[in-house]
Order: sequence, then C-alpha cells, then structure tokens
Amino acid sequence: MKTFDILGYSFSTIRLRKLRAALTTLGITIGILAIVAMLTITQGFQVAVTDELNSGLSTNSLIVTPGSSQGGSEGGVTISLDDSGFKLYLNDTSDIQNLSPDIDSVLAVISKVGMVESDYLNSSVHVYGVDYETYARIYSTFDAESGTIPTNPKNDTIVIGSSVSDPDKNGTQFIVPGDSINLVWLNVSARPFENKTYTAQVSGVLGAVGGFGFGGPSDSGVYIPLSTAESFFGTDVCDMIIVKLTNSDEDTIARVTDLIRDHFGNQVSVISSTAIISLLSTVFTTIQLFLFGIAAISLLVAGISIMNIMIVSLIERTREIGILKALGMKSRTVLMIFLGESVIIGFIGAILGIIGGWITAKAVVWVLGSGLIIGTGGGGLAITPVLTPIVLFGSLAFGVGISVIFALYPAWRASKLKPVDALRQD
Amino acid sequence: MTAIIEAINLRKTYMMGKVPVEALCGVSFSVEAGDFISILGPSGSGKSTMLNLIGALDKPTSGTMLIDGVNVGKLNDARLSELRLKIGFVFQSFNLIPRLSAKANVELPMSVADMNKARCSKRAIKLLEIVGLKERMNHKPTELSGGQQQRVAIARALANNPRFLLLDEPTGNVDSKTAHEIMSLVHRLNKENGVSIIMVTHDQELARTARRTIKMFDGEIQSDMVN
Ligand SMILES: Nc1ncnc2c1ncn2[C@@H]1O[C@H](COP(=O)(O)OP(=O)(O)O)[C@@H](O)[C@H]1O
Ligand SMILES: [Mg+2]
Repeated sequence: MKTFDILGYSFSTIRLRKLRAALTTLGITIGILAIVAMLTITQGFQVAVTDELNSGLSTNSLIVTPGSSQGGSEGGVTISLDDSGFKLYLNDTSDIQNLSPDIDSVLAVISKVGMVESDYLNSSVHVYGVDYETYARIYSTFDAESGTIPTNPKNDTIVIGSSVSDPDKNGTQFIVPGDSINLVWLNVSARPFENKTYTAQVSGVLGAVGGFGFGGPSDSGVYIPLSTAESFFGTDVCDMIIVKLTNSDEDTIARVTDLIRDHFGNQVSVISSTAIISLLSTVFTTIQLFLFGIAAISLLVAGISIMNIMIVSLIERTREIGILKALGMKSRTVLMIFLGESVIIGFIGAILGIIGGWITAKAVVWVLGSGLIIGTGGGGLAITPVLTPIVLFGSLAFGVGISVIFALYPAWRASKLKPVDALRQD
Repeated sequence: MTAIIEAINLRKTYMMGKVPVEALCGVSFSVEAGDFISILGPSGSGKSTMLNLIGALDKPTSGTMLIDGVNVGKLNDARLSELRLKIGFVFQSFNLIPRLSAKANVELPMSVADMNKARCSKRAIKLLEIVGLKERMNHKPTELSGGQQQRVAIARALANNPRFLLLDEPTGNVDSKTAHEIMSLVHRLNKENGVSIIMVTHDQELARTARRTIKMFDGEIQSDMVN
C-alpha cells in the first residue's frame, strides 16, 4: 500500500473519533507547549545575560588575583582562599608583560572599600586605582556618559560609576562632572585605625554597565589614577592584575594562563572571561535540562494516554483489522496505519504546542513587566524569548517521537492479529 | 482444465480452552478454473473452516492446501497476504468498513494492492455498475440495505480480478427476494465473466443451483456430486 494511502487511511480513522483524537492531541500540545515556553524563556534569559556579560567583560583579558589556584589549568574558574600571604605588587606588571608576545598590555588594580562624601549624599563605594588609558582600552564600558575620562589625569581626578552619581537610577544625578567630592578611607591596618580623606574633582560619570562587570567597570565603583591610589592607600600591593591579550584564541588564553601561573609559582589564580561565560553556560544548560525534565514528564503522561487510547481503538477495531487482513493487507501495513495515526496526532500536537509555547513565552515575559526588569545589581535586563532551530525542530521531533514510541506496542499488537480470530469478534 | 484449488487430507483442530475441537477431519477435493461449487452442510459441520483455508485466511493443522499450486501451509505472513489479494472473499455479515463509502470500500483492496488512485476509482465505479449500485456509490454501508451491502461486498471481492470468489453464506442475512438477486449476480459473474465460485450455504435449494455440490457433515465430506 502506498505511503500516502496509508496516511489517508490513518487520517480517516482519526476523523471518526474527533473528540478523542483532539483530547489525545491536547496532551502532546500541553507537553510541547511547556517545553517550548520554558526553553525559549531561559534561552532568552541566557542571551540577555551573556550579552550583558560580553559588554561588561573583555573576552581577550585575563584576571590575575593572589591565591593558589587548584583545579584544572584551562577554563576552570576556581575560587581560592587567600591564605598563603602571597601578594601581587604593582611592579609585577612589567614581569608579566615580558612573559609572552601575546600580551598586549597589563594593568594593575588597587581596590579598596571607601566612602564618597558630597554635598548631597554620602555613600559607600569601591575605590579602584587604575591607569585610565589602559583600563579604557581593555573595557569599552570605561567610557564617560557625561564629562570626560582624561588620558593624563591630574592627581585628584576621579571618575565615578553611574549609580554613585544616580543611586536611585531615576535620572537624578547627585554628583556631576565638575563637582568636588571627598573620598574617605578607613585604614584598618594602622594602629589605631586611621581615617584618611582627600578631595577629588569629578571628571566623568560612566554609563550604566549592569551587574556583571567582573574585573571591568562597575556602577558602584569610583576610579582614581593608580599613582594617587598608591600614595593615598600607602601601598604598592595590588589586588588584581588585568592582562589584555592580542587575541582571544582559546590556545592563547590557555598558554598565557599557564605562563602567568608558573611565573608566580602557582600562587595566583588566573581567570578568563571565557571561563566565566562557559561556567555560566554550563549553569544555564543545567537549568534548562532540569526544566526540560519537568516538561518532559507531562509529555510522558501524554504518551501514556496515546497508548491507552490506541489500545482501546485496537480493541474496537479488531474486526476491521480482520477485514483488512482478509483483503490482503500486510501486517506491516496494519502497523504503519496505527503508527501513522500517532504520527499525525504527534505532529499536529507538536505544531500547536510550539505555537502555544511561543505565545505563552511572549505572554509570560510581557506579564512580568513590559520588557521584564529583573534587578541584577546595577542595570536592568530585558528578555526576549529565543526560539532556536534546535528547540523548534527538537520539540517537533520529540512530540512525534513520543507518540510513535507509545503507539508501537498497540500497533504491533494490531499487526499480529490473525484474520480468522479478528473476524470472529464483534 | 487445471486445478486452481487442491485440498489433500485437510485437518483443522481448534483448541477450546484445553479441549481440542476437530472442525475438519481429513477432507480432500479439488476445484478447476471456471467451476461453480456449493458447499452444503448443517451449522457446525466445518464449512466456514474449510472456506477460510481455501481463502488463505488460516492454515490447516495438517494436510496440504494448494492454491494455484502453492502450498498455503508453507507461506510466511507476507506471502499469505499477497496470496489473499488474488482471492475474493464474501462474508455472511458483509464486513464492509462502516466509515467508508461503497466506492471507497471497493477501492480498498486495490489500494492495498498498490494500484494508483485514478485507476482504483475507475475500476470501483465499473464494478459497482456490474453489481447494479453505481447510483449508490457515495453511500455509507449504513445507508444501504442488506442486499445492497452484500453486492458492494461482492464488488469489493472482485476488485483485484481474483482467481476465484469465495462466498460464506452470502444470502444468510438477507430476505429471500434479495437472496435471489444476489444469486443471479453470482451466476452471471460465473457465466459471463468466467469467475470461479465456491459458495458455502446450508440451503439445499441454493446449493442445487451450483454445478457441483460438496456435502459436509461433522467435519467430513459426505458426498461430492455434480448436480
Ligand atoms: N476459532 C475457533 N475456535 C474454536 N472452535 C472453532 C473455531 N472456529 C470454528 N470452531 C468450531 O469448529 C466447528 C466448525 O465450525 P464452522 O467451520 O464455523 O462450521 P459452519 O461454518 O459449518 O457452521 C464448530 O464446532 C465450531 O464451534
Ligand atoms: Mg459458518
């Protein structure tokens, strides 16, 4: 029997029991809808987060911090406890620079927690001592939205993060370029503790970066020239060294990472933004698998209901199967007719599920506040559901696959019926 | 003339639970092309069992059933299906597919035999014309009388130009006037179209209209005579 005729016959049996077929299809639709909605939302979320990260991170930079790094040498993000007393010094930068021709520039960062006092508000901030020019070269987000970031700053120049200027994020800037502010730092290493203060001139305010400025500029940071930081904090120890590479090849990243680690006798940890992103993508994959698993259960239930309905249908149609076999229909064709029904149900169910899932995802995103704002520290995160071809065709195949798998047993039983036995039924 | 059917010492034993039921206890006969044979016997004498074996719907417990020289007992499932395509079977209870129209029912065996849609349709109309139901071809079985349903069933049995037509009490479920119409159709098919006929009945009158009658009793052939 021709495939087209087989499908036609399958379809004629579905049409006979419209409500039953509709309910069975609904099961598949709900399962696929859940899968598609969950995956498109989480993938949209992942895209938003990764975009945010990519703008906050520099893909071709490494971050070197003190602390022995356990774990694998490439791509692993290790959290290390700084218990060795090992320190990085400002002059380590030139040693690192000489390690490899793949190193473009090296930046030392002194970072302390301090306080900003202005006419209108006092707020706690992260104070970073950096070389403005190099920092801006590594991070495109180190860019003034108002004012300027001078290449040759004066000793009292300061650049501030957007939420230092506008803590309520409503456009009201408490500190603007040209203002004088006091920077206060409590030196807890001194005995007794020593409160240090100096007056800085605000030169620029950064644009909002969002919450993921790992190593890069953050909204709650203030940036002073490295030399000022050195004398103000009275230290030549740096908290972090950022290494910009000439390219972002995985090979280069792995090689330079090893070189730096070896240079410091494994007493530093070297983290690449690639590693952070890949860690995040692993986290997202896990979340998606988990959600997929939950949605898949509903599809499993749909599959069982297909099997149930098919067995009922098999019993009802025993005589018909007997007739078909008496007319010369092969067992294989009977099998195909039953599987054809499940393919049609699975296909229609999956298509409706994909459409429904997409609408649901859009609706969920819309309901969670037109353009969904999730508080992520600094900025907002706008999510648009993402329907990748893998999710699209994968869920279609999954819907059809589940219904076919659960139809296999009833279809097989139908195909094995003996014509004489089947015809004796009524 | 050559034998299209040859049965040699056929036995068929059914198991009713653990009790064996001997439906056929060693029957032998042969049928030649173009013949018209009736199988006569009381209910339970094994007529249907025998017809099922001739129609390759079942295999004998022992003995040999040759159809066109092919041993049915030795065929696998797929070959059996192919053989059934060449046999026209008409059942006492019509056995039409209720949701399909008369025409679609007649087309079905041709579609099973891989014939293309256009040819199926043309031939179905022609067959329905032969059995006198061309006007009713779009009716569902439930919209047809018993006699009309049986004529659709005959048209369906003829769809693939079968080597022979098997009828199991074809008039058992219809009134006597309709029975007469069906019988004259069967006779016409035999005479005009040269279709070989084997018809099971428990009606002596009907049996006598055949060229030859095989009388059965308790799973055995009592007599095999030309009328
Ligand atoms: N599938 C079966 N299982 C058990 N017994 C059967 C089966 N088919 C027929 N029989 C028995 O075999 C005998 C012959 O039946 P059948 O060939 O249908 O007779 P007829 O058609 O002459 O009335 C009967 O006793 C019947 O009960
Ligand atoms: Mg019978």
